[in-house]
Amino acid sequence: MADQTLKMVPGISAAVERVFAEMAERKRWRLPHMLMAAVIIGFLAWAADGVNLKPSEFAAAIPVIGEYFYRMWPPKWGFSETIWQPAIETIYIALWGNVIATVIGLPLGMLAAGNITRSVVIRNGAKAILNLLRSISELIWAIFFVSAVGLGPFPGALALGINFGGILGRLYAEAMENVDGGPIEAMRATGANRIQVILFAILPQALPQFVTFNLYWFEVGVRSATVLGMVGAGGIGFELVTTIRLFEWRETGIVLLIILGMVTVIDSASTWIRSRIY
Amino acid sequence: MDGSMTETKTALSIKGLSKTYNGGITALRDVSMDVAAGEFLVILGPSGAGKSTLMRCINRLVEPTAGHVFHDGREITGSKANLRLIRRDFGMVFQQFNLVKRLSVLTNVLTGRLAYRSAWRSLFYSFSQEDKRIAIECLARVNMDHKAFQRADTLSGGEQQRVAIARALAQKPKVILADEPVASLDPKIARQVLVYLKEAASDLGITVLCNLHQVEYTREFAQRVVGMSRGTVVYDGPAANLGDEILHTIYYRDPDAQKANGDAE
Repeated sequence: MADQTLKMVPGISAAVERVFAEMAERKRWRLPHMLMAAVIIGFLAWAADGVNLKPSEFAAAIPVIGEYFYRMWPPKWGFSETIWQPAIETIYIALWGNVIATVIGLPLGMLAAGNITRSVVIRNGAKAILNLLRSISELIWAIFFVSAVGLGPFPGALALGINFGGILGRLYAEAMENVDGGPIEAMRATGANRIQVILFAILPQALPQFVTFNLYWFEVGVRSATVLGMVGAGGIGFELVTTIRLFEWRETGIVLLIILGMVTVIDSASTWIRSRIY
Repeated sequence: MDGSMTETKTALSIKGLSKTYNGGITALRDVSMDVAAGEFLVILGPSGAGKSTLMRCINRLVEPTAGHVFHDGREITGSKANLRLIRRDFGMVFQQFNLVKRLSVLTNVLTGRLAYRSAWRSLFYSFSQEDKRIAIECLARVNMDHKAFQRADTLSGGEQQRVAIARALAQKPKVILADEPVASLDPKIARQVLVYLKEAASDLGITVLCNLHQVEYTREFAQRVVGMSRGTVVYDGPAANLGDEILHTIYYRDPDAQKANGDAE
């Protein structure tokens, strides 16, 4: 290192000492940080008590879970003939759930976005509606809709659409709030009005993220739609619950395999679509 | 200037360097030059002349299609084996500064020490006292030590570029590659940044390659200039000789001559 030591310039060692001193000073101010860490750890410990978190029992549960999977093997391949139609129905539910979610989420998301809606009252109103849609799970919505419009895939799609609308609206709003402000300023400088600024500066910039969100929540929708069948809202979930109730483990195995297959296909398809959209 | 004997030693020797990108665009065509140790060399040319590609072929952020680069007599092209050690010797300064904006100024400069330390230690974001001392000294050299604990995104452009220079200096590099370091800065701050880069050469003996597109700064700061146009070297000589004709060759080459050269565009 001899030939490469920085040439000493006047005051450089004083600067080093000063910065080191400030570094030490900042370290000493770590008491609030430690307090905060203590609070977080305490809170987690308190919550652990609440969920009866017992590592020993978790360890004991592993062989039981393993036993379930053992019984599912080999899957009863022939059963797939009975369930391919509900499986496709599940995809329909997820697809239309997504469309409904977008129709609900996009306008509400715009009303909730700080750089689109100036009025705090409207913004908070939109956020409150999104919170309501989101905080009631799709399973509960499905129970409501089944009693309202009857059994079948339609209440399932409605339930997904309402709940995911609340989620997507929130995500859309954040994506729009985080776009680069420069182009917005440029559009305003051209004399464009509010709607034009949204159309030409905000939406084009946020669009790739919108697509990413929708693809991801479509995948989540497929998984979710498998559960909706339990309350009579159509899809493969009905067969899933039935096979479990009847202890037909090998049938359960093939149902789970088909769900895994669908999710995998959707995942690779959405990766491909996203690589094209940017 | 401390006119020592190292002054005349060749630090960097570039021989027949060419680069054609996957899309078929040729950015460099048979570029050769020698750079003396401790020299402050300006590479002058318009946007798209291949200046950035040249720098990135030297520290291998871009792999050249053909040609060789020698540093202190050792070839640094080809082998992937010592890439980390090779890059450590080459500090880089960028047009858009490329600081990690959410990290503090001091941490940004400390990243200049990463190639000296294991990933294991970096896992804890921990640096040795020695590294910290070096980083603070480098910050002090560019008069930024008073903002060591601020987040990088709170600084102005000129301040960010000074921190970026400190980061490059913290590598204790043999060579600094400055790619359009003042293109985003106002003239007063630009001159200040160029002074710092020139001092790195004159005071610390670091070989500095500096890409510029402004003739004015080149005349003011450079002794030797390499002029580039459309991927080739069209001038190599003293800045004092940069006349209208030479500048015309660099900036407005005859389109017919380009066709004769078999240009891709």
